[in-house]
Amino acid sequence: MNSVENTENFVRRGKAKITTDPRMDRHVLDDAFAAMDKSSTLKRSRSNWTWHRSSTIRLAVAAMIIVAIGLLAIQWDPQKEVPSEMGPVAKSPADSLSVMSLNMAYRRGGIEAMDALAETAFDLPKSRSAKVSLRELLTESNGV
Amino acid sequence: MIDDKRLVWQFNRGSKEALQRLYEKYKDDLLGLAITLLRDRSLAEDVVHDVFVAFARTAGVFTLTGTLKGYLSTCVANCARDRNRLRSARHVGLDAAEALMTDSKDPVAQSVGSEEAQRLQDVLGYLPYEQQEIIVLHLHQEMRFRDIAEALGVSINTVQSRYRYGLEKLRSILNSTVTK
Repeated sequence: MNSVENTENFVRRGKAKITTDPRMDRHVLDDAFAAMDKSSTLKRSRSNWTWHRSSTIRLAVAAMIIVAIGLLAIQWDPQKEVPSEMGPVAKSPADSLSVMSLNMAYRRGGIEAMDALAETAFDLPKSRSAKVSLRELLTESNGV
Repeated sequence: MIDDKRLVWQFNRGSKEALQRLYEKYKDDLLGLAITLLRDRSLAEDVVHDVFVAFARTAGVFTLTGTLKGYLSTCVANCARDRNRLRSARHVGLDAAEALMTDSKDPVAQSVGSEEAQRLQDVLGYLPYEQQEIIVLHLHQEMRFRDIAEALGVSINTVQSRYRYGLEKLRSILNSTVTK
């Protein structure tokens, strides 16, 4: 017996061949089954508690989300949008054109040009034939 | 291995039949291991009992990472170590070992059976328990050094050196007994 391998073989061959006693088997199994029952009951109750706890938490979270969504929906109403500040209503094109025309006439030819423009403007609403349409009248007065 | 996994799966679902089948499968092997480590059949039976009862308590949460045989063997080795400490670490001397070899009424001799097994029991008694358990776990239970290290919570280098020193010592004891 000189080599390590021989020693290993000696140990392997020396493995005890044992058989358990039937009384021991009964004793071990009885105690093991009892321990298993005890632990299973414990775990079942524990798992039930955990399940109940987790489902309660889930329900609470779901309720909070629903409430939050409800509050948001109430506050956000697209039809109740705050109207933006409106400036003064624009004057009619005829007024704008008149003012612009007077301004341009003054720049071009001074007070005389303004007089000439005014005379032309006062000359416009003269009598027209009954066949003239409203559109033509408006075009004539507005210049557009 | 697959059979073990299936049985463990059933055991985790509360099957007593699965637990019984696992016990029937490994009881002899584990008792042999415990007797080899403790050299006392009564203590060895207690160890196997405690290991299986503790295993039964894990029903529902037990997870099998390696082999079940390796797991149970490690449990037996750990439990045997505790029992050994409680027994105040009786160290068998050479004369006592010789007496064991010749004493056919010895309970260990009766329980172990074969002559070679009896001789191994005698010489293993000279080794420190840490070396004994590693030699037996590796050569009898066919556990890898890595698994033994993991199960015992020591480094693989420690396991390998304990194994090497143990085997060396065993070889020298065997040589000295042969030359006597």
